[in-house]
Amino acid sequence: MEIKEKKMITDVFVDGARKGWNIGISSVMPNVMMAFVIIHALKITGILDILGKVFGPVMAVFGLPGEAATVLMGAWLSMGGGVGVAVSLFTQGVIDGAQVAILTPAIFLMGAQIQYAGRLLGAAEVESRHYGILFGICILNAFLSMFVMRFFV
Amino acid sequence: MNEKNEQKKVGIVAYLSLIFAIVFFSGFFAKAAGWLGVLDFTVLNGDYGKIIGEGGKSFTFRGTGGYGAKDGFLFALNLIPTVMFALAVVSVVEYLGALDAARQLLTPLLRPLLGIPGSTGLALIASLQSTDAGAGMTKLLYDEKEITNDERTIFAAFQFTAGGTITNYFATGAALFALSAADGSMAVTVPLIVPFVVIMIFKVFGANLMRFYLKAASKKQ
Repeated sequence: MEIKEKKMITDVFVDGARKGWNIGISSVMPNVMMAFVIIHALKITGILDILGKVFGPVMAVFGLPGEAATVLMGAWLSMGGGVGVAVSLFTQGVIDGAQVAILTPAIFLMGAQIQYAGRLLGAAEVESRHYGILFGICILNAFLSMFVMRFFV
Repeated sequence: MNEKNEQKKVGIVAYLSLIFAIVFFSGFFAKAAGWLGVLDFTVLNGDYGKIIGEGGKSFTFRGTGGYGAKDGFLFALNLIPTVMFALAVVSVVEYLGALDAARQLLTPLLRPLLGIPGSTGLALIASLQSTDAGAGMTKLLYDEKEITNDERTIFAAFQFTAGGTITNYFATGAALFALSAADGSMAVTVPLIVPFVVIMIFKVFGANLMRFYLKAASKKQ
């Protein structure tokens, strides 16, 4: 932890906003753009429809259309990816605001697992025999959170 | 662990900033009339001006009917102020000591809540800010025999689901709260803090699943 020097509160705000700009430009924007391209590609090829039908029955349990499964797939790879796909499906009118809210905790609870397996579990030297259950807990958390969020929307 | 940090005094300002952060993102004053709106994130986050187009219809700068990469670009641009503002506020409350206050309040709860010692408080708070910081400090806690192997696994379960929670949620997640419906109203009406609280509850829940699994596994042997 670095030693905090006295700073003006306005400088802290500006530094934070700058951090937000950097994340916005280097993470949110590329992720959203990729998601828009992927969802558009899935749409014109008809694959999005197929995914919607295949995952429809499962996602219906959570008050979501089948296409929303792509949000969870995107999230598993990276949280920004999940957010991007959710934004893209929202602008396409596939999911509404309430459904975005249902998906929000799940995007983070099962987010970026592949990356974090190395960066967190590897770095903290957690025994690898527990990896399976650790992944399972995250995915279970994500699905349960969608149930819980239904009460808030 | 770093003794100085453990004993750092947590003053009244730190507690007030923690309360402010909770109120500010809770949407409690979102609909409040008059000056109380100053205590709300969405009020201060504001809105874009409208461009009047064909037939007197109003549009934002994104327009309508766009698609693909170009629409993704403009749409992402429209999310960025929310991300900037959210992180700016989080930076200010962190600077004022909100997380130190949270650590102070959490430390005595860690044993009953997660089954890990109070000395993990600093690492726990760090893990909410950065996945990598949390991982590094967890390894250190184990190496210095502050936590057992099982406690490390439980602590890892807490950190692994929604890693780097504060940073990821208020940076990337804030974008979701910038979405607006066709009529220009906010699409996501749930306050910003609600999914965050749900996430925190499930982090504790997940760690406890691991805790019971390890207990059950050790009984079997």
